[in-house]
Amino acid sequence: MTTQSEAVPTTVSAAPTEQPLLEVTNLRKYFPVKSSGLVRRTIAQVQAVDGVSFQVPAGTSLGLVGESGCGKSTTGRLITRLLDPTSGSMKFEGHEIGNLSPKQMLPYRKEIQMIFQDPYSSLNPRHTVGTIVGTPLRVHKVVPEKQVLNRVRELLEVVGLNPEHYNRYPSEFSGGQRQRIGIARALALQPKLLVADEPVSALDVSIQAQVVNLLTDLQKEFGVAFLFIAHDLAVVRHFCPEVAVMYLGKIVEIADRETLYNRPHHPYTQALLSAVPDVKQAAVGGRRERIRLEGDVPSPVNPPSGCRFRTRCWMAKDICAKQEPPLLQIGPKHKVACHFAGEYGAMPTSPITLNVLGVDQEGTPVAGATPSAEDLNEPGFADTWTDVETLKGNSAPMATSLPSDSRPASEVGSEDRGTRS
Amino acid sequence: MTTADLEQLEHELPPGEPVDKKIAGKSPTRIAFERLRKDKVAVISSAVVLLLILMGLFAPLICSLWGIYPDNSDPASPRPSEVLSFDTFPAIGPPYYPFTWEHPLGLAPRTGYDNLARLLYGIRTSLSVAAAATILSTVIGVSIGLVAGFARGWLDRLISFVIDLFLSFPFLLGALALAPIIISRFSTNLEALSKAQVIALVSVLVVFGWMALARLIRGQVLSLREREFVQAAQVMGVPTRRILFKELLPNLVAPIVVATSLTLPAYVAAEAGLSYLGIGLTGVPSLGQTINDAVNSYAEYPLYLWAPVVTVMVLVLALNLLGDSIRDAFDPKTRR
Repeated sequence: MTTQSEAVPTTVSAAPTEQPLLEVTNLRKYFPVKSSGLVRRTIAQVQAVDGVSFQVPAGTSLGLVGESGCGKSTTGRLITRLLDPTSGSMKFEGHEIGNLSPKQMLPYRKEIQMIFQDPYSSLNPRHTVGTIVGTPLRVHKVVPEKQVLNRVRELLEVVGLNPEHYNRYPSEFSGGQRQRIGIARALALQPKLLVADEPVSALDVSIQAQVVNLLTDLQKEFGVAFLFIAHDLAVVRHFCPEVAVMYLGKIVEIADRETLYNRPHHPYTQALLSAVPDVKQAAVGGRRERIRLEGDVPSPVNPPSGCRFRTRCWMAKDICAKQEPPLLQIGPKHKVACHFAGEYGAMPTSPITLNVLGVDQEGTPVAGATPSAEDLNEPGFADTWTDVETLKGNSAPMATSLPSDSRPASEVGSEDRGTRS
Repeated sequence: MTTADLEQLEHELPPGEPVDKKIAGKSPTRIAFERLRKDKVAVISSAVVLLLILMGLFAPLICSLWGIYPDNSDPASPRPSEVLSFDTFPAIGPPYYPFTWEHPLGLAPRTGYDNLARLLYGIRTSLSVAAAATILSTVIGVSIGLVAGFARGWLDRLISFVIDLFLSFPFLLGALALAPIIISRFSTNLEALSKAQVIALVSVLVVFGWMALARLIRGQVLSLREREFVQAAQVMGVPTRRILFKELLPNLVAPIVVATSLTLPAYVAAEAGLSYLGIGLTGVPSLGQTINDAVNSYAEYPLYLWAPVVTVMVLVLALNLLGDSIRDAFDPKTRR
């Protein structure tokens, strides 16, 4: 047993008692697939979101990235209760909002607002800008009717539009301006959490920067927390101090910005990041090594057993098909769901999750071994974590049978936990 | 425009004054009306429709000014014996005597009623019955369509089934069966009978006329409800009724206006047809009833038939052309 006190960053001093603004635990959304015919039986389930846990602290941003169809938009829609979750809990400021009726949800609507992806369909073409931005004010009666117009003008000014344009129609604005109108509408109720569902992906690149900067300014000014859903890694890197990567309805890696972008430990994150064009590389010349994933994303109706990424993973072994890798914390602010998590090119040859799952190399449960009692679906980060580097050394004797790696055993431990002291 | 021109323009503008003050936003409805005003067919047909509406609206006034009467209930109206000759055809005016300004369209054989007066009152009846039926069926169709489109699951399926049921029921058979049933309940009271006839006619038209619009609106709502502005309203906590009538309904103006403008002439024609078949109105003058009477004496007295036939045709044609123009104006994408 080792205590890795020297690996602990000294800067971390955040009080763990501080309540997160939003806490999502084990959130699931299955869409039923109905058979045709008179009696419409449910024949399958699309597992759009399957056990997602994360936290959004007040006043900061969590980025949610992943390719199309991985369930990131569904997650956003679940949090705004456009969809009802199949199971799991969503706590907003400690209050459960996952099972509220529309009427009970009403007070929380003020606190959680949403920015939509397509500025061309998110504004009612038959209403003037004043009506669109004023609707939330009127519905929640936050200001008296006479002052709605003044408030609308203020809001338009906040998002950088001419306040005198309140009687124009959305068709008279450009895409970027429309998105600003959508942001003004979302801000009207002064929410604490904004779910931004790909807010810039429908915009021109030059406009994207403007809108992202506007969102940054608004966050500084009003202290709004963001759940920033995007597939553009560069935008997320710019905007979010914490990023979660989703694949096929599950979070595969969640970490702070520096760790995720510089030292990704999940093969899928590595593949995603290697697809991002690098300007520096172009200046140096030569070709960067890129990870090319084979095949397509499997169907969420019938996802692969064990690890969902194994069908496209270049490191997949037997255990990946048998055991689903838990989202294991491997650093102070770093969780990853992979049996062989490690930096690219330095992946461990032996699973790091054996102790937690209580299984052997092949993925079959070891008699007598007890899986770690700790709930691995806990959102947020714990004070203790499993240290990958130690595990690599420790699990080596088990791996001696493998011809590739025969590092001598330094220490054989059943428990390898880093501890924050 | 050259740069110099632009500079000159800039100089002409008073400094500090916002340039875009004059640019006022136009609602899509206003744009459609402006488009409609430029359409010659629309202008002409709406003028014709307006003229016919005014004729119907001021029928009593025109008749009293002209000194003509649609029937002989008025003591001042000419007795049949005064204006009819022995063979029951009129003694003045067409078909056997020259044109007279006293009765421009002649007199009806047998009864001696003035044809112009009957025509004006007939237009009045036709238009009011058609308008009432159109308004009712539009309100019913739009509400049911909105609810069906927005409600998912069993309610939508139930409403769709009811729509299909009504669509599959034959209109003429239903009308033939339904009208006598309604009328027979009031047959004891003559005063109530004429009212019952109007109610029966309107309800027959409405019962068999709301489904097309309901289906149209349901389809439109199905596609609109997936648009993000509806979801934005839901996220804001806008109540469902407000979403239906404030967010969705304004986007359905075009299909509703188009459907209504094409339903109105259909109802005018249907009213005339039902009256011709004798299941429409009997107590009040109506175009279909006049046509029915005139068929018997067509060989001797063609004008008696042609006047109401041409009037119905002009009314229906003008309304249809106007409806087409309205569709083009509200939805320019479908323009041929």
